[in-house]
Amino acid sequence: MTNILLLEDLPEIRTWLKVLINQVFPQSQIHEAARVHDALELVSAVKFSLALCDLGLPDGSGVDVVAALREHQPECQSVVVTIHDDDDHLFPALQAGAFGYLLKEQARELIAEQLKRMSQGEPPLSPSIARRVISHFASQTRQQERPQNIPHVSLTDRENEVLLRVAKGFTLPEIGVQLNLSRHTIADYVKQIYRKLNVSSRAEAALEAQRLGLFRRQ
Amino acid sequence: MSTPRPGTLQHDATRIARRATCSWLAAALALLAISVLLLSAPAAHAGAAIVTLTSAQAAQTTNDHLLTELPPTIVDLPDDWSDTRPRFDGLVRYRTRFDRPAGAEPNELLALYIERVCSNVEVSLNGQRIYSGGRMTEPVTRNCHYAQLVTLPPALLQERGNTLDLQVRGHALQRVASRQRAGGLSALQIGPQALLAEQQARHRLWNVAAVQVLALTVAVLGVVMIVLGWMSRQAAYFSYYGWLSLAWALMSLRIWWRDMPWDNGVIEFLFCTAFAPVVALAVQFLLSYADLRSRWIENALALQWVLLPVTLLLGGPARLFGLANAWYVVLAVETCAAMALYLWVTKRHPRHDRRHDFWPMVAILGAGSVLVLVELAVQYDLPGLPQLPLLQLGVPVLLVAVAARLLQVFARSLQAAEAGRNTLEARVREATAEIEHNFAQLAEMRVEQVTEKERKRIAADLHDDLGAKLLTIVHTSESERISTLAREALEEMRLSVRGLTGKPVRLADALADWRAETVLRLGQANIEADWRGPTEETEQLLPARGFVQTTRILREAVSNIIKHSGASHCKVRCAITDRQFGLTVQDNGKGIPMELDGKLDRGHGMSSMKHRAKQMQGQCLVESGPGYGTVIRLTLPL
Repeated sequence: MTNILLLEDLPEIRTWLKVLINQVFPQSQIHEAARVHDALELVSAVKFSLALCDLGLPDGSGVDVVAALREHQPECQSVVVTIHDDDDHLFPALQAGAFGYLLKEQARELIAEQLKRMSQGEPPLSPSIARRVISHFASQTRQQERPQNIPHVSLTDRENEVLLRVAKGFTLPEIGVQLNLSRHTIADYVKQIYRKLNVSSRAEAALEAQRLGLFRRQ
Repeated sequence: MSTPRPGTLQHDATRIARRATCSWLAAALALLAISVLLLSAPAAHAGAAIVTLTSAQAAQTTNDHLLTELPPTIVDLPDDWSDTRPRFDGLVRYRTRFDRPAGAEPNELLALYIERVCSNVEVSLNGQRIYSGGRMTEPVTRNCHYAQLVTLPPALLQERGNTLDLQVRGHALQRVASRQRAGGLSALQIGPQALLAEQQARHRLWNVAAVQVLALTVAVLGVVMIVLGWMSRQAAYFSYYGWLSLAWALMSLRIWWRDMPWDNGVIEFLFCTAFAPVVALAVQFLLSYADLRSRWIENALALQWVLLPVTLLLGGPARLFGLANAWYVVLAVETCAAMALYLWVTKRHPRHDRRHDFWPMVAILGAGSVLVLVELAVQYDLPGLPQLPLLQLGVPVLLVAVAARLLQVFARSLQAAEAGRNTLEARVREATAEIEHNFAQLAEMRVEQVTEKERKRIAADLHDDLGAKLLTIVHTSESERISTLAREALEEMRLSVRGLTGKPVRLADALADWRAETVLRLGQANIEADWRGPTEETEQLLPARGFVQTTRILREAVSNIIKHSGASHCKVRCAITDRQFGLTVQDNGKGIPMELDGKLDRGHGMSSMKHRAKQMQGQCLVESGPGYGTVIRLTLPL
């Protein structure tokens, strides 16, 4: 029995997603929330294995819920379900620890397919997100003086290679062929990239907080 | 400020200034030299036509009214009373005899020329009074500086044995403040009137006119300096100099004014007294020009101004010359000390703007001190009376030279001020321009910010309201067609928002996005995709609208291939040049039927693709034929 968090403010869509989740994960218990506040309460009470979070909510952004999950339930996979496909919206969520994203208007079968893949550890990665990740790590390595207690995260050559190719518009299967790697290996690289993005972003946020003289968030 | 130009300018200015001062000094020296030459000239060329009488019978009267005459004695001319009759103050009668000069033409008008007679003279020829220089009783007319020319009436003149009687009214040396004004009579010259008139004119030119011209010049300069000093109050030396010049010019007034309404004692007292303020002003000027100031010296000078007349009054008119000369020594010492102090201070701490002031000032002040010492020597009768009024000529020349320096300094400071003002103005202009520029930038940024904010708000509204509703339709509609339409509408909306809010996109990034999407979609539709783009990186940018429109065109083309063509293969080619960007999408499907072209157009969205290309000043060509597939060629200007 697994617990799945569904954070969505539109009732129709929530219902629709619930049906969809039930199809993909028939054995799961779905906890619904329409507001960030409710979702955070659920996060502190229930242990989730998967969370589907909308971004634009009446009382805030789903990014906060993603961050809380990453903080308190690191095993939980957060997936952003949104109407926004631009990286300005998606990237912060990915930095906060989201593992992938679904576009809400996509056909049921497509979403189901992507959701299944993500739960199996194959997150999507678009060229624009890849470019953001590249520039994020580029700016990370540029920062010279870095306190000892802040972990330094960097990508491996292979991860970089994958990112660069995605940024140039190649799809993950294509890259797998080009680099002679299996689908699972490529997926592992992408997962590592997401994980490192999150760790590095958290370190950056902590550094920023330190720099501003604030305390690290507990 | 350290650019070479102002430096060289200043250097030039000072060089010119130095040259100007040198030329002033040279001019002054030349003037003196010429005057000496001119004065010595007549003696050489007068020749036999002029007879010089160098002795006379002299009888002095003690009192004008009683006319108690002492017995006549023979005296040599020139007769300086201070030598021949010390302390005598009154009237002396001279009698001399002469014959008509042999060298003179028989009918020529003859004249008597007296180079110096002090203070006044009356002339009789053969018993007839023929000339009077002015009042013979107090206040006596003061003719000491004026050479006298007396035309001898031909009717009275005999060929031989003419008797010439001169009554000379003069003052004892002890009763005047200057040796030049002590009683006396020079040698007498008789000769052709024309020649002697010329001689008199020359004498007057140097002894009177030159002094007058210089006094006037100095007075004008003085007024100018006073005005300058009044305008630039921090430079007090202008005022000191101005008043000094003016005081000197006033003292020179006595040259003009021969008939003063006071008797000799008063006038001489006033003259002597006037030296105290003049010297005080000179000392103050030098100190102030050297940036020195001493209360002590100021008070001493003021005290001296009081002390000098008091001692003269206490001594009485009979001891005027002695006291005056004692004071002259004091004043000369003060002046020379002030000059030396000035030079010492400026040598040790030269002011930045008067670096080249030192040597010209040494020359001027050196000449000044020599002048003062020579005049002092004259008063003590060391070299005898000079032919020229040295002090009256020399001091104004030096004053003019100093004025030239002062004006140069002033002009230079004016220039510096002007330059400073110009730099300041330029800086203000720069600052203003920068502020304006910043303001414009700020305003622009503000507009951009507001626009951006408004766009974001519209975008958020569209997403939250329209997007949510369309989304609901997508997922709740029973009809597949409606949910497809709603999905497409949602996509359109998102693209519109992106066009509204987006920044320019790097063409390479846009190509990557299009490639990923196209390959993914074709792959999902089991159509083999063959996308080839430029391999080298380009930095060209595509405006957000161009990106959005091209995305739509490409999406439409891919949708057509997926929905209608039945193709199994799709080739996409991209080409980028400096000017334009080309995209070719080719499939191997069944093509668009010719006869149905018009009708199918709507469904295939060809016209909207073309319309969008046109909006971007590009073009979209569609080539198709049954069985040949379809080629869409899109070209856009960059």
